[in-house]
Amino acid sequence: MFEKVLVANRGEIALRVIRACKELGIRTLAVYSEADVDSLHVQLADESICIGAAPSTESYLKIDRIMSAAEIGDVDAIHPGYGFLAENPHFAEVCESCNIKFIGPSSQAMQAMGDKNAARAAARRAGVPVTPGSEGIVETESDAIKIARKIGYPVMIKATAGGGGRGMRMAHNEPSLQSAFHSARHEAEKAFGNDQVYLEKLIVNPHHVEFQIVADSHGRMVHLGERDCSIQRRNQKVIEECPSPLMTSSLRKKMGHAAIKLAKSVGYENAGTIEFLVDSNKHFYFIEMNTRIQVEHTITEEVYGCDLVKEQIRIAAGEPLSEHVARATPRLHAIECRINAEDPAKDFQPTPGRIDFYYAPGGRGVRIDSHVYTGYTVPPYYDSLIAKIITVGATRINAIERMRRALDEYYITGIKTTVPFHAAIMRNGEFRAGNYDTGFIERVMSSGKLDLTSRPIRLRE
Amino acid sequence: MEPKDIKEIKTIIDLMKKNDLSVLEIEKEGFRIKVQRGSSGQTAAVAPLQTAVPPKAALASTDAASGLPKATESVPLREIVSPMVGTFYRAGSPDGSPFVDIGKTITEETVVCIIEAMKVMNEIKAETSGVIAEVVAENGKPVQFGQVLFKVR
Repeated sequence: MFEKVLVANRGEIALRVIRACKELGIRTLAVYSEADVDSLHVQLADESICIGAAPSTESYLKIDRIMSAAEIGDVDAIHPGYGFLAENPHFAEVCESCNIKFIGPSSQAMQAMGDKNAARAAARRAGVPVTPGSEGIVETESDAIKIARKIGYPVMIKATAGGGGRGMRMAHNEPSLQSAFHSARHEAEKAFGNDQVYLEKLIVNPHHVEFQIVADSHGRMVHLGERDCSIQRRNQKVIEECPSPLMTSSLRKKMGHAAIKLAKSVGYENAGTIEFLVDSNKHFYFIEMNTRIQVEHTITEEVYGCDLVKEQIRIAAGEPLSEHVARATPRLHAIECRINAEDPAKDFQPTPGRIDFYYAPGGRGVRIDSHVYTGYTVPPYYDSLIAKIITVGATRINAIERMRRALDEYYITGIKTTVPFHAAIMRNGEFRAGNYDTGFIERVMSSGKLDLTSRPIRLRE
Repeated sequence: MEPKDIKEIKTIIDLMKKNDLSVLEIEKEGFRIKVQRGSSGQTAAVAPLQTAVPPKAALASTDAASGLPKATESVPLREIVSPMVGTFYRAGSPDGSPFVDIGKTITEETVVCIIEAMKVMNEIKAETSGVIAEVVAENGKPVQFGQVLFKVR
């Protein structure tokens, strides 16, 4: 087992990794930017090294400084978290060449699935259904038009170097396709340094259902069921649940089997997630694979009774898949709400700043993964996620009522948060009935019917 | 002077001690006072290596560490901070002589030290001019981004 691990990330996931390491008796080294001096992950790590100025490009994305810190700290392994360098094959390669274990898949597997278009090709080869679309990169506008005529509108133009909901454009007809094609390429060049795009048929109002897979270095791979992540705002997930309200055991078998087949075909190791879209006829289509631990790994942990981050570390250390993970079956129902430092009443405008008072709910079946505390200042340089609240219940409605109860207790002052937004969703009829798809948030927000007036308790601070 | 004024002055002195200031001047409504601390028996602590944020250039700073007798107003010292993560070396080779020492005059182009990162020896330039007043970082010890290496007058 490793003696020391460097956590190459920040915020709640850095804290998550540090907690897993502490439980395994592994020493931790946190690297941080000047804006994260007071961050909880820095305070709780055994050692910490400042690696740069606030902007990510000056710190969390600086491979040379991270490797330098790893050398000074004499670490055995690096956990990349999610985002930043977690899906950077070059970073994984650098770790490999420095004999520091990268806690995740190999750089080759990462490369194979990181290029979205190549991943689609791998899925086709593995006999996994993909959304109808272009066979590869679409080079010219006229090619785009030809393909769109064939697969039918509406279509999605997607950057092959994109991912995580970024680098995507929609087109409902030929004129809009012409402009969207060029602006998508331009945007992709700016955001990812790669302007290559491919086309996919836009499946209207699908469910976004993803499968968690875990594989050790001894050839054993299992899937730990699905997560429904359809509740999204601008292609960013806001609420996730496990199991999916639309899942049946036969569909789970089919999709799980497809997920494993695809991951095995690229020699995948460690934790990963295969994302699918499911249409109203329960047909599923592969869209992309995330070669890292995900934000919402938590709900799978609660339902399947495992610690995925500890499992990642064990696998990286060469241990075989834990029996309780290999044989895990779903019990209970879990929901996660992502709490962001954003004002839902002002179009989710980011609200960085000092948290004057922070009280998180507790009680049976409530889990909070958060790096914030009273007096903590949310910096403006990074994503706005300040906490994940997860509730578990015997049934779906139990988990929802528990989330409603817990959100009403969640007391954060000094900044605006999306707690009232989630509290309103928990009371929404469509959500409670499980009748939602990726268009749900758009519809409910534009209907103006969502009651965003906070109903928090007033704590005497 | 009124008792109230003396109380105010005592508060000022405490504040100066707490924040390690040498000189403080206050002017308000026709009232002006200047308080100056002596360095007798005062040794300022060198910034500990695990300090996360490099102290920003303060309005007044401790100069007691350089051992100068306090007769005039102190000149704020500038800092040369580490631009990377690595190991700090004062000389170009194990038995070489240090690039700079206290009292050495430097220009922006002067190489003041080496920071070794991933087996690469990086020559660090002063990027300021003046005279080395203090060597803060320890030879052969790791330094982090933003850590104070030298103080310059």
